[in-house]
Amino acid sequence: MTRLSHFLGLAALAAATSAQAAELPAEIKQAGALKLTVNSTYAPMEYRDPATNELVGLDIDLANELAKRLGGLKIVWSETPFAELIPSLQTRRADFIISGISDRASRRETADFVDYLATGPQFFVMADSAAKDATDLCGKKVGTTRSTSFPVEIEKWSKQNCEAAGKPAIQYVPGENSIDVRNQLKQGRIDAAVQGSETLPYAQSQEPGKYRIVGDAFAKGYQGIMFRKDDAALREVVTEKLAAMIADGAYKAVLDKWGLGANAVEKPMLNAAPQ
Amino acid sequence: MRPAPALAEGFPDLSGMRIAREPHWFRWISAALIVLVLAAIARAFANGQIEWSYVSRFLTAKVILEGIVNTMVMAVLAMALGIVLGIVVAIMRLSPNPVLKTVAAGYTWLFRGTPLILQLLLWFNLALVFPTIGIPGLWSARAVDVMTPFLAALLGLGINQGAYTSEVMRAGMLSVDIGQYEAAQAIGMGRLRALRRIVLPQAMRVVIPPLGNEFIGMVKATSLASVIQYPELLHNAENIYYANSRVIELLIVAGLWYLLVVSILTPLQMLLERRFARGTLRLAR
Repeated sequence: MTRLSHFLGLAALAAATSAQAAELPAEIKQAGALKLTVNSTYAPMEYRDPATNELVGLDIDLANELAKRLGGLKIVWSETPFAELIPSLQTRRADFIISGISDRASRRETADFVDYLATGPQFFVMADSAAKDATDLCGKKVGTTRSTSFPVEIEKWSKQNCEAAGKPAIQYVPGENSIDVRNQLKQGRIDAAVQGSETLPYAQSQEPGKYRIVGDAFAKGYQGIMFRKDDAALREVVTEKLAAMIADGAYKAVLDKWGLGANAVEKPMLNAAPQ
Repeated sequence: MRPAPALAEGFPDLSGMRIAREPHWFRWISAALIVLVLAAIARAFANGQIEWSYVSRFLTAKVILEGIVNTMVMAVLAMALGIVLGIVVAIMRLSPNPVLKTVAAGYTWLFRGTPLILQLLLWFNLALVFPTIGIPGLWSARAVDVMTPFLAALLGLGINQGAYTSEVMRAGMLSVDIGQYEAAQAIGMGRLRALRRIVLPQAMRVVIPPLGNEFIGMVKATSLASVIQYPELLHNAENIYYANSRVIELLIVAGLWYLLVVSILTPLQMLLERRFARGTLRLAR
Protein backbone atom coordinates (compact mmCIF):
# COMPACT_ATOMS: atom_id res chain seq x y z
CA MET A 1 0.00 0.00 0.00
CA THR A 2 2.69 2.44 1.01
CA ARG A 3 4.63 1.33 -1.99
CA LEU A 4 1.70 1.98 -4.22
CA SER A 5 1.16 5.43 -2.75
CA HIS A 6 4.87 6.17 -3.17
CA PHE A 7 4.64 5.09 -6.73
CA LEU A 8 1.54 7.20 -7.31
CA GLY A 9 3.25 10.11 -5.64
CA LEU A 10 6.27 9.74 -7.87
CA ALA A 11 4.08 9.50 -10.94
CA ALA A 12 2.22 12.62 -9.89
CA LEU A 13 5.51 14.39 -9.27
CA ALA A 14 6.80 13.35 -12.68
CA ALA A 15 3.60 14.58 -14.30
CA ALA A 16 3.85 17.84 -12.39
CA THR A 17 7.46 18.45 -13.34
CA SER A 18 6.84 17.68 -16.97
CA ALA A 19 3.96 20.15 -16.88
CA GLN A 20 6.29 22.60 -15.16
CA ALA A 21 9.01 22.34 -17.75
CA ALA A 22 7.33 25.35 -19.22
CA GLU A 23 6.74 25.47 -22.92
CA LEU A 24 6.77 28.42 -25.25
CA PRO A 25 3.25 29.35 -26.41
CA ALA A 26 2.57 27.74 -29.78
CA GLU A 27 2.01 31.11 -31.45
CA ILE A 28 5.54 32.32 -30.67
CA LYS A 29 7.09 28.97 -31.49
CA GLN A 30 5.39 28.97 -34.85
CA ALA A 31 6.43 32.54 -35.66
CA GLY A 32 9.98 31.81 -34.55
CA ALA A 33 10.12 35.37 -33.27
CA LEU A 34 9.40 37.45 -30.19
CA LYS A 35 7.64 40.79 -30.59
CA LEU A 36 9.17 43.21 -28.09
CA THR A 37 8.41 46.89 -27.57
CA VAL A 38 10.70 49.35 -25.81
CA ASN A 39 10.78 53.03 -24.99
CA SER A 40 14.25 53.85 -26.25
CA THR A 41 14.79 57.07 -24.29
CA TYR A 42 16.29 55.45 -21.19
CA ALA A 43 20.01 54.90 -21.59
CA PRO A 44 21.71 52.65 -20.69
CA MET A 45 18.68 50.37 -20.35
CA GLU A 46 17.57 50.89 -23.95
CA TYR A 47 18.49 53.62 -26.37
CA ARG A 48 19.52 54.13 -29.95
CA ASP A 49 23.27 54.31 -30.36
CA PRO A 50 23.89 57.81 -31.74
CA ALA A 51 26.57 56.50 -34.11
CA THR A 52 24.80 53.48 -35.57
CA ASN A 53 21.12 54.10 -34.74
CA GLU A 54 21.02 50.50 -33.46
CA LEU A 55 18.88 49.69 -30.44
CA VAL A 56 21.34 48.96 -27.64
CA GLY A 57 21.31 48.68 -23.88
CA LEU A 58 21.18 46.37 -20.92
CA ASP A 59 17.60 45.29 -21.57
CA ILE A 60 18.37 44.71 -25.24
CA ASP A 61 21.32 42.45 -24.35
CA LEU A 62 19.28 40.52 -21.80
CA ALA A 63 16.43 40.07 -24.28
CA ASN A 64 18.80 38.87 -26.98
CA GLU A 65 20.31 36.31 -24.61
CA LEU A 66 16.83 35.16 -23.53
CA ALA A 67 15.70 34.81 -27.15
CA LYS A 68 18.77 32.71 -27.91
CA ARG A 69 17.97 30.39 -25.00
CA LEU A 70 14.30 30.17 -25.97
CA GLY A 71 15.33 28.18 -29.02
CA GLY A 72 17.04 30.79 -31.13
CA LEU A 73 14.08 33.08 -31.56
CA LYS A 74 14.45 36.24 -33.59
CA ILE A 75 13.31 39.49 -31.98
CA VAL A 76 11.10 41.95 -33.84
CA TRP A 77 11.63 45.25 -32.02
CA SER A 78 9.23 48.15 -31.98
CA GLU A 79 9.27 51.44 -30.10
CA THR A 80 6.69 53.45 -28.23
CA PRO A 81 6.42 56.26 -25.66
CA PHE A 82 6.87 55.05 -22.09
CA ALA A 83 3.19 55.51 -21.28
CA GLU A 84 2.19 53.24 -24.18
CA LEU A 85 4.21 50.27 -22.94
CA ILE A 86 1.35 48.79 -20.91
CA PRO A 87 -1.21 49.28 -23.72
CA SER A 88 1.27 47.63 -26.11
CA LEU A 89 1.33 44.60 -23.86
CA GLN A 90 -2.45 44.53 -23.42
CA THR A 91 -3.14 44.83 -27.13
CA ARG A 92 -0.64 41.99 -27.79
CA ARG A 93 1.58 44.24 -29.87
CA ALA A 94 4.34 42.97 -27.58
CA ASP A 95 4.75 39.44 -26.18
CA PHE A 96 6.34 40.85 -23.04
CA ILE A 97 7.92 44.15 -22.03
CA ILE A 98 11.51 44.54 -20.91
CA SER A 99 12.02 48.29 -20.95
CA GLY A 100 13.28 49.76 -17.70
CA ILE A 101 9.83 49.64 -16.14
CA SER A 102 9.48 49.55 -12.36
CA ASP A 103 7.43 46.85 -10.70
CA ARG A 104 4.67 48.94 -9.04
CA ALA A 105 1.53 47.71 -7.29
CA SER A 106 -0.61 50.03 -9.44
CA ARG A 107 0.70 48.33 -12.57
CA ARG A 108 0.13 44.81 -11.21
CA GLU A 109 -3.59 45.27 -11.86
CA THR A 110 -2.86 44.81 -15.53
CA ALA A 111 0.38 42.81 -15.61
CA ASP A 112 2.72 40.46 -13.77
CA PHE A 113 6.32 41.43 -13.18
CA VAL A 114 9.34 39.15 -13.16
CA ASP A 115 11.77 41.34 -11.24
CA TYR A 116 15.32 41.26 -12.60
CA LEU A 117 17.17 44.43 -11.55
CA ALA A 118 17.42 46.44 -8.35
CA THR A 119 16.58 50.10 -8.80
CA GLY A 120 15.33 53.14 -6.99
CA PRO A 121 14.53 56.76 -7.70
CA GLN A 122 17.59 58.97 -7.23
CA PHE A 123 17.89 62.74 -6.77
CA PHE A 124 20.53 64.56 -8.76
CA VAL A 125 21.43 68.21 -9.30
CA MET A 126 23.76 70.30 -11.45
CA ALA A 127 27.34 69.98 -10.19
CA ASP A 128 27.39 73.60 -8.98
CA SER A 129 24.18 73.32 -6.95
CA ALA A 130 24.24 74.26 -3.29
CA ALA A 131 22.24 71.18 -2.29
CA LYS A 132 24.33 68.75 -0.24
CA ASP A 133 21.65 66.51 1.21
CA ALA A 134 18.37 65.21 -0.12
CA THR A 135 16.58 67.23 2.58
CA ASP A 136 18.11 70.40 1.12
CA LEU A 137 15.64 69.85 -1.72
CA CYS A 138 12.57 70.43 0.49
CA GLY A 139 10.58 73.35 -0.91
CA LYS A 140 12.56 73.21 -4.15
CA LYS A 141 11.40 72.39 -7.67
CA VAL A 142 12.13 68.77 -8.55
CA GLY A 143 11.40 67.41 -12.00
CA THR A 144 10.91 63.90 -13.32
CA THR A 145 9.25 62.05 -16.20
CA ARG A 146 5.52 62.42 -15.66
CA SER A 147 4.55 59.02 -17.14
CA THR A 148 6.65 57.10 -14.58
CA SER A 149 6.01 56.11 -10.98
CA PHE A 150 8.53 58.70 -9.76
CA PRO A 151 6.08 61.62 -9.23
CA VAL A 152 4.18 59.55 -6.66
CA GLU A 153 7.40 58.39 -5.00
CA ILE A 154 8.73 61.95 -4.75
CA GLU A 155 5.49 63.07 -3.12
CA LYS A 156 5.67 60.20 -0.65
CA TRP A 157 9.31 60.94 0.19
CA SER A 158 8.54 64.63 0.60
CA LYS A 159 5.70 63.87 3.03
CA GLN A 160 7.94 61.66 5.17
CA ASN A 161 11.13 63.72 5.07
CA CYS A 162 10.13 67.33 4.43
CA GLU A 163 6.61 67.91 5.69
CA ALA A 164 7.00 65.57 8.70
CA ALA A 165 10.04 67.63 9.72
CA GLY A 166 8.13 70.88 9.35
CA LYS A 167 9.87 71.85 6.11
CA PRO A 168 8.07 72.95 2.94
CA ALA A 169 7.12 70.18 0.52
CA ILE A 170 8.99 69.48 -2.70
CA GLN A 171 7.34 71.13 -5.72
CA TYR A 172 7.01 68.51 -8.43
CA VAL A 173 7.53 69.70 -12.01
CA PRO A 174 6.54 67.34 -14.85
CA GLY A 175 8.82 66.42 -17.74
CA GLU A 176 8.26 64.39 -20.89
CA ASN A 177 11.20 61.94 -20.64
CA SER A 178 14.61 61.78 -18.97
CA ILE A 179 16.29 63.89 -21.67
CA ASP A 180 13.63 66.57 -21.33
CA VAL A 181 14.02 66.50 -17.55
CA ARG A 182 17.79 66.95 -17.77
CA ASN A 183 17.24 69.82 -20.23
CA GLN A 184 14.93 71.47 -17.71
CA LEU A 185 17.63 71.02 -15.07
CA LYS A 186 20.28 72.60 -17.30
CA GLN A 187 18.02 75.55 -18.06
CA GLY A 188 17.29 76.06 -14.38
CA ARG A 189 13.57 75.34 -14.73
CA ILE A 190 14.03 72.88 -11.88
CA ASP A 191 16.48 72.71 -8.97
CA ALA A 192 16.87 68.93 -8.96
CA ALA A 193 15.73 65.92 -10.94
CA VAL A 194 14.88 62.28 -10.34
CA GLN A 195 15.79 59.30 -12.50
CA GLY A 196 16.18 55.59 -11.83
CA SER A 197 19.51 55.04 -10.09
CA GLU A 198 20.50 52.54 -12.82
CA THR A 199 20.49 55.24 -15.51
CA LEU A 200 22.58 57.90 -13.80
CA PRO A 201 26.10 56.49 -14.30
CA TYR A 202 25.49 56.55 -18.05
CA ALA A 203 24.02 60.08 -18.05
CA GLN A 204 27.05 61.27 -16.07
CA SER A 205 29.49 59.55 -18.43
CA GLN A 206 27.89 61.34 -21.40
CA GLU A 207 28.27 64.78 -19.85
CA PRO A 208 31.20 64.44 -17.45
CA GLY A 209 31.21 66.75 -14.44
CA LYS A 210 27.77 68.16 -15.20
CA TYR A 211 25.60 66.40 -12.65
CA ARG A 212 26.00 65.45 -9.01
CA ILE A 213 24.07 62.72 -7.23
CA VAL A 214 22.41 63.76 -3.96
CA GLY A 215 21.86 61.13 -1.28
CA ASP A 216 21.05 57.49 -1.97
CA ALA A 217 18.28 56.02 -4.06
CA PHE A 218 15.33 56.95 -1.87
CA ALA A 219 13.13 53.92 -2.33
CA LYS A 220 14.09 50.32 -2.94
CA GLY A 221 12.46 48.71 -5.90
CA TYR A 222 12.93 46.41 -8.85
CA GLN A 223 12.56 46.66 -12.55
CA GLY A 224 10.50 43.86 -13.94
CA ILE A 225 9.82 42.08 -17.18
CA MET A 226 6.11 42.64 -17.67
CA PHE A 227 3.76 39.85 -18.81
CA ARG A 228 0.04 39.69 -19.49
CA LYS A 229 -1.85 38.15 -16.57
CA ASP A 230 -3.19 35.36 -18.79
CA ASP A 231 0.22 34.51 -20.18
CA ALA A 232 1.60 32.40 -17.33
CA ALA A 233 3.21 29.86 -19.67
CA LEU A 234 5.40 32.45 -21.34
CA ARG A 235 6.17 34.07 -18.00
CA GLU A 236 7.34 30.75 -16.55
CA VAL A 237 9.52 29.76 -19.44
CA VAL A 238 11.21 33.20 -19.46
CA THR A 239 11.67 33.07 -15.67
CA GLU A 240 13.32 29.66 -16.06
CA LYS A 241 15.76 30.91 -18.69
CA LEU A 242 16.51 34.05 -16.69
CA ALA A 243 17.27 31.94 -13.60
CA ALA A 244 19.64 29.85 -15.71
CA MET A 245 21.35 33.01 -16.99
CA ILE A 246 21.84 34.22 -13.43
CA ALA A 247 23.22 30.81 -12.41
CA ASP A 248 25.75 30.51 -15.23
CA GLY A 249 27.00 34.11 -15.14
CA ALA A 250 25.59 35.33 -18.47
CA TYR A 251 23.33 37.73 -16.57
CA LYS A 252 26.20 39.14 -14.53
CA ALA A 253 28.29 39.63 -17.68
CA VAL A 254 25.57 41.80 -19.24
CA LEU A 255 25.19 43.88 -16.08
CA ASP A 256 28.93 44.37 -15.77
CA LYS A 257 29.15 45.42 -19.40
CA TRP A 258 26.83 48.34 -18.58
CA GLY A 259 28.49 49.11 -15.25
CA LEU A 260 25.50 47.99 -13.22
CA GLY A 261 26.84 44.85 -11.55
CA ALA A 262 25.83 46.32 -8.19
CA ASN A 263 22.16 46.28 -9.23
CA ALA A 264 22.06 42.50 -9.75
CA VAL A 265 19.37 40.33 -8.15
CA GLU A 266 20.02 36.82 -6.81
CA LYS A 267 17.09 35.23 -8.63
CA PRO A 268 14.10 36.30 -10.68
CA MET A 269 11.16 37.21 -8.42
CA LEU A 270 7.46 37.45 -9.19
CA ASN A 271 5.80 40.77 -8.25
CA ALA A 272 8.27 41.19 -5.40
CA ALA A 273 9.12 44.89 -5.28
CA PRO A 274 8.26 46.41 -1.90
CA GLN A 275 5.86 49.33 -2.21
CA MET B 1 -63.13 74.29 -62.25
CA ARG B 2 -62.62 73.49 -65.86
CA PRO B 3 -63.55 70.01 -67.08
CA ALA B 4 -60.62 67.91 -68.23
CA PRO B 5 -60.14 68.28 -71.98
CA ALA B 6 -61.62 65.48 -73.99
CA LEU B 7 -59.14 62.81 -75.07
CA ALA B 8 -58.69 61.70 -78.63
CA GLU B 9 -60.09 58.37 -79.71
CA GLY B 10 -58.09 55.34 -78.46
CA PHE B 11 -56.41 57.12 -75.54
CA PRO B 12 -57.77 56.04 -72.15
CA ASP B 13 -58.33 58.77 -69.55
CA LEU B 14 -55.65 58.27 -66.85
CA SER B 15 -56.26 61.46 -64.92
CA GLY B 16 -58.24 59.74 -62.20
CA MET B 17 -55.71 56.99 -61.54
CA ARG B 18 -53.46 56.83 -58.52
CA ILE B 19 -49.78 57.41 -59.21
CA ALA B 20 -47.88 54.28 -58.19
CA ARG B 21 -44.93 54.90 -55.86
CA GLU B 22 -41.57 53.68 -56.97
CA PRO B 23 -40.48 50.91 -54.62
CA HIS B 24 -36.86 52.23 -54.15
CA TRP B 25 -35.63 48.75 -53.25
CA PHE B 26 -31.96 49.73 -53.32
CA ARG B 27 -32.57 52.72 -51.07
CA TRP B 28 -34.23 50.51 -48.46
CA ILE B 29 -31.57 47.81 -48.60
CA SER B 30 -28.63 50.20 -48.38
CA ALA B 31 -30.22 52.13 -45.50
CA ALA B 32 -30.89 48.88 -43.64
CA LEU B 33 -27.32 47.71 -44.21
CA ILE B 34 -25.83 50.97 -42.96
CA VAL B 35 -28.02 50.96 -39.84
CA LEU B 36 -27.01 47.35 -39.20
CA VAL B 37 -23.31 48.12 -39.52
CA LEU B 38 -23.63 51.16 -37.22
CA ALA B 39 -25.54 49.08 -34.68
CA ALA B 40 -22.87 46.40 -34.83
CA ILE B 41 -20.15 49.00 -34.23
CA ALA B 42 -22.10 50.50 -31.32
CA ARG B 43 -22.64 47.04 -29.87
CA ALA B 44 -18.96 46.17 -30.27
CA PHE B 45 -18.00 49.30 -28.31
CA ALA B 46 -20.66 48.68 -25.66
CA ASN B 47 -19.34 45.15 -25.12
CA GLY B 48 -15.69 46.06 -25.66
CA GLN B 49 -13.15 46.30 -22.87
CA ILE B 50 -14.02 49.85 -21.90
CA GLU B 51 -14.85 50.67 -18.31
CA TRP B 52 -17.53 53.26 -18.99
CA SER B 53 -17.77 54.08 -15.29
CA TYR B 54 -14.30 55.64 -15.57
CA VAL B 55 -15.45 57.72 -18.53
CA SER B 56 -18.40 59.16 -16.63
CA ARG B 57 -16.39 59.61 -13.44
CA PHE B 58 -13.59 61.59 -15.10
CA LEU B 59 -15.72 63.49 -17.62
CA THR B 60 -16.26 66.28 -15.09
CA ALA B 61 -13.18 65.74 -12.93
CA LYS B 62 -11.55 68.96 -11.78
CA VAL B 63 -8.27 68.49 -13.67
CA ILE B 64 -10.16 67.70 -16.88
CA LEU B 65 -12.26 70.87 -16.54
CA GLU B 66 -9.11 72.88 -15.81
CA GLY B 67 -7.59 71.28 -18.88
CA ILE B 68 -10.44 72.35 -21.14
CA VAL B 69 -10.25 75.91 -19.77
CA ASN B 70 -6.50 76.01 -20.44
CA THR B 71 -7.06 74.57 -23.90
CA MET B 72 -9.60 77.27 -24.76
CA VAL B 73 -7.53 80.11 -23.26
CA MET B 74 -4.53 78.99 -25.30
CA ALA B 75 -6.56 78.46 -28.49
CA VAL B 76 -8.13 81.94 -28.29
CA LEU B 77 -4.91 83.79 -27.43
CA ALA B 78 -2.77 81.92 -29.96
CA MET B 79 -5.41 82.44 -32.66
CA ALA B 80 -5.60 86.17 -31.81
CA LEU B 81 -1.82 86.41 -32.10
CA GLY B 82 -1.98 84.44 -35.35
CA ILE B 83 -4.62 86.74 -36.85
CA VAL B 84 -2.75 89.93 -35.93
CA LEU B 85 0.48 88.53 -37.37
CA GLY B 86 -1.40 87.18 -40.38
CA ILE B 87 -2.93 90.56 -41.26
CA VAL B 88 0.37 92.39 -40.83
CA VAL B 89 2.29 89.83 -42.87
CA ALA B 90 -0.35 89.74 -45.62
CA ILE B 91 -0.21 93.54 -45.93
CA MET B 92 3.60 93.39 -46.02
CA ARG B 93 3.43 90.66 -48.64
CA LEU B 94 1.24 92.78 -50.92
CA SER B 95 3.31 95.89 -50.33
CA PRO B 96 5.34 97.42 -53.16
CA ASN B 97 8.35 97.64 -50.79
CA PRO B 98 10.72 94.74 -51.71
CA VAL B 99 12.20 94.49 -48.19
CA LEU B 100 8.80 94.11 -46.54
CA LYS B 101 7.75 91.68 -49.23
CA THR B 102 10.81 89.46 -48.78
CA VAL B 103 10.65 89.48 -44.98
CA ALA B 104 6.99 88.49 -45.13
CA ALA B 105 7.66 85.69 -47.58
CA GLY B 106 10.60 84.52 -45.46
CA TYR B 107 8.46 84.41 -42.32
CA THR B 108 5.83 82.29 -44.01
CA TRP B 109 8.52 80.03 -45.47
CA LEU B 110 10.23 79.48 -42.11
CA PHE B 111 7.23 78.88 -39.87
CA ARG B 112 5.16 76.95 -42.38
CA GLY B 113 8.17 74.90 -43.36
CA THR B 114 8.93 73.33 -39.99
CA PRO B 115 6.68 71.07 -37.89
CA LEU B 116 4.70 72.76 -35.13
CA ILE B 117 5.91 70.30 -32.49
CA LEU B 118 9.53 71.12 -33.39
CA GLN B 119 8.84 74.85 -32.97
CA LEU B 120 7.21 74.23 -29.59
CA LEU B 121 10.23 72.26 -28.39
CA LEU B 122 12.56 75.03 -29.62
CA TRP B 123 10.67 77.75 -27.75
CA PHE B 124 10.50 75.63 -24.61
CA ASN B 125 14.24 74.86 -24.68
CA LEU B 126 15.32 78.35 -25.71
CA ALA B 127 17.15 78.80 -22.41
CA LEU B 128 19.69 76.20 -23.57
CA VAL B 129 20.76 78.81 -26.15
CA PHE B 130 20.14 82.00 -24.17
CA PRO B 131 20.30 81.42 -20.39
CA THR B 132 19.35 85.04 -19.75
CA ILE B 133 17.40 87.37 -21.97
CA GLY B 134 16.67 91.08 -21.75
CA ILE B 135 17.43 94.54 -23.06
CA PRO B 136 21.10 95.43 -22.40
CA GLY B 137 21.39 97.91 -19.56
CA LEU B 138 17.66 98.08 -18.91
CA TRP B 139 16.27 94.77 -17.89
CA SER B 140 17.27 91.13 -17.88
CA ALA B 141 15.84 87.87 -16.57
CA ARG B 142 16.50 84.17 -16.56
CA ALA B 143 15.11 82.86 -19.83
CA VAL B 144 13.20 80.07 -18.07
CA ASP B 145 11.35 82.55 -15.88
CA VAL B 146 10.09 84.27 -19.02
CA MET B 147 9.69 81.28 -21.27
CA THR B 148 7.16 79.42 -19.14
CA PRO B 149 5.27 76.52 -20.72
CA PHE B 150 2.41 78.98 -21.23
CA LEU B 151 4.49 81.53 -23.14
CA ALA B 152 6.38 78.87 -25.11
CA ALA B 153 3.06 77.36 -26.20
CA LEU B 154 1.58 80.77 -27.03
CA LEU B 155 4.56 81.82 -29.15
CA GLY B 156 4.90 78.45 -30.82
CA LEU B 157 1.22 78.10 -31.70
CA GLY B 158 0.58 81.79 -32.45
CA ILE B 159 3.58 82.43 -34.67
CA ASN B 160 3.02 79.22 -36.58
CA GLN B 161 -0.63 80.14 -37.00
CA GLY B 162 0.39 83.59 -38.25
CA ALA B 163 2.19 82.00 -41.19
CA TYR B 164 -0.94 80.14 -42.27
CA THR B 165 -3.31 83.01 -41.51
CA SER B 166 -1.24 85.41 -43.60
CA GLU B 167 -2.01 83.29 -46.65
CA VAL B 168 -5.72 83.22 -45.79
CA MET B 169 -5.68 87.01 -45.38
CA ARG B 170 -3.76 87.49 -48.60
CA ALA B 171 -6.34 85.40 -50.43
CA GLY B 172 -9.11 87.52 -48.90
CA MET B 173 -7.45 90.76 -49.95
CA LEU B 174 -6.84 89.45 -53.46
CA SER B 175 -10.51 88.51 -53.71
CA VAL B 176 -11.53 92.18 -53.46
CA ASP B 177 -11.97 93.64 -56.93
CA ILE B 178 -9.06 95.74 -58.13
CA GLY B 179 -11.58 98.47 -58.99
CA GLN B 180 -12.11 99.00 -55.27
CA TYR B 181 -8.41 99.89 -54.79
CA GLU B 182 -8.51 102.16 -57.78
CA ALA B 183 -11.68 103.91 -56.64
CA ALA B 184 -10.16 104.45 -53.17
CA GLN B 185 -7.05 105.92 -54.72
CA ALA B 186 -9.14 108.11 -57.02
CA ILE B 187 -10.80 109.78 -54.05
CA GLY B 188 -7.40 110.37 -52.47
CA MET B 189 -7.06 107.57 -49.90
CA GLY B 190 -3.56 106.33 -49.09
CA ARG B 191 -2.74 102.63 -49.35
CA LEU B 192 -3.12 101.77 -45.66
CA ARG B 193 -6.29 103.84 -45.29
CA ALA B 194 -7.82 102.15 -48.32
CA LEU B 195 -6.89 98.79 -46.86
CA ARG B 196 -8.45 99.58 -43.51
CA ARG B 197 -11.61 101.27 -44.77
CA ILE B 198 -12.36 99.60 -48.08
CA VAL B 199 -10.47 96.36 -48.67
CA LEU B 200 -10.21 94.58 -45.30
CA PRO B 201 -13.93 94.87 -44.44
CA GLN B 202 -14.78 93.23 -47.74
CA ALA B 203 -12.03 90.66 -47.37
CA MET B 204 -13.41 89.63 -43.95
CA ARG B 205 -16.46 88.08 -45.59
CA VAL B 206 -14.22 85.78 -47.59
CA VAL B 207 -11.76 84.89 -44.84
CA ILE B 208 -14.23 83.95 -42.09
CA PRO B 209 -14.93 80.38 -43.30
CA PRO B 210 -11.24 79.45 -43.68
CA LEU B 211 -10.40 81.21 -40.38
CA GLY B 212 -13.13 79.25 -38.62
CA ASN B 213 -11.53 76.16 -40.05
CA GLU B 214 -8.12 77.25 -38.76
CA PHE B 215 -9.51 78.01 -35.30
CA ILE B 216 -11.01 74.55 -35.01
CA GLY B 217 -7.60 73.24 -36.04
CA MET B 218 -6.00 75.41 -33.36
CA VAL B 219 -8.24 74.03 -30.59
CA LYS B 220 -6.87 70.59 -31.38
CA ALA B 221 -3.31 71.74 -32.08
CA THR B 222 -3.04 72.99 -28.47
CA SER B 223 -2.80 69.31 -27.51
CA LEU B 224 0.75 69.33 -28.93
CA ALA B 225 1.67 71.70 -26.11
CA SER B 226 1.27 68.71 -23.79
CA VAL B 227 4.88 67.77 -24.61
CA ILE B 228 6.12 71.07 -23.16
CA GLN B 229 4.04 70.58 -20.01
CA TYR B 230 1.33 73.13 -20.72
CA PRO B 231 -1.55 71.68 -18.66
CA GLU B 232 -4.16 71.54 -21.43
CA LEU B 233 -6.84 68.90 -21.85
CA LEU B 234 -4.80 66.05 -23.32
CA HIS B 235 -1.89 66.66 -20.93
CA ASN B 236 -4.19 66.37 -17.93
CA ALA B 237 -6.00 63.32 -19.30
CA GLU B 238 -2.63 61.65 -19.86
CA ASN B 239 -1.56 62.42 -16.31
CA ILE B 240 -4.62 60.57 -15.07
CA TYR B 241 -4.02 57.49 -17.17
CA TYR B 242 -0.33 57.48 -16.31
CA ALA B 243 -1.53 56.90 -12.76
CA ASN B 244 -4.49 54.56 -13.27
CA SER B 245 -3.72 52.90 -16.63
CA ARG B 246 -7.26 53.56 -17.99
CA VAL B 247 -5.88 54.78 -21.31
CA ILE B 248 -8.87 54.37 -23.63
CA GLU B 249 -11.31 55.66 -21.02
CA LEU B 250 -9.40 58.92 -20.52
CA LEU B 251 -8.81 59.36 -24.25
CA ILE B 252 -12.58 59.06 -24.73
CA VAL B 253 -13.12 61.71 -22.04
CA ALA B 254 -10.75 64.12 -23.79
CA GLY B 255 -12.21 63.29 -27.20
CA LEU B 256 -15.77 64.03 -26.01
CA TRP B 257 -14.69 67.45 -24.74
CA TYR B 258 -12.94 68.35 -28.00
CA LEU B 259 -16.08 67.29 -29.92
CA LEU B 260 -18.29 69.37 -27.64
CA VAL B 261 -16.15 72.48 -28.09
CA VAL B 262 -16.08 72.11 -31.87
CA SER B 263 -19.84 71.53 -31.93
CA ILE B 264 -20.34 74.84 -30.11
CA LEU B 265 -17.90 76.67 -32.37
CA THR B 266 -19.59 75.73 -35.64
CA PRO B 267 -22.83 77.71 -35.11
CA LEU B 268 -20.78 80.61 -33.68
CA GLN B 269 -18.86 80.73 -36.92
CA MET B 270 -22.15 80.95 -38.85
CA LEU B 271 -23.28 83.91 -36.74
CA LEU B 272 -19.98 85.65 -37.43
CA GLU B 273 -20.27 84.94 -41.16
CA ARG B 274 -23.74 86.44 -41.21
CA ARG B 275 -22.50 89.61 -39.53
CA PHE B 276 -19.67 90.19 -41.98
CA ALA B 277 -21.93 89.36 -44.95
CA ARG B 278 -24.50 92.05 -44.05
CA GLY B 279 -23.80 93.91 -47.29
CA THR B 280 -24.43 90.94 -49.55
CA LEU B 281 -27.11 89.06 -47.62
CA ARG B 282 -29.71 91.80 -47.94
CA LEU B 283 -30.58 90.63 -51.44
CA ALA B 284 -31.01 87.04 -50.36
CA ARG B 285 -33.30 87.89 -47.47
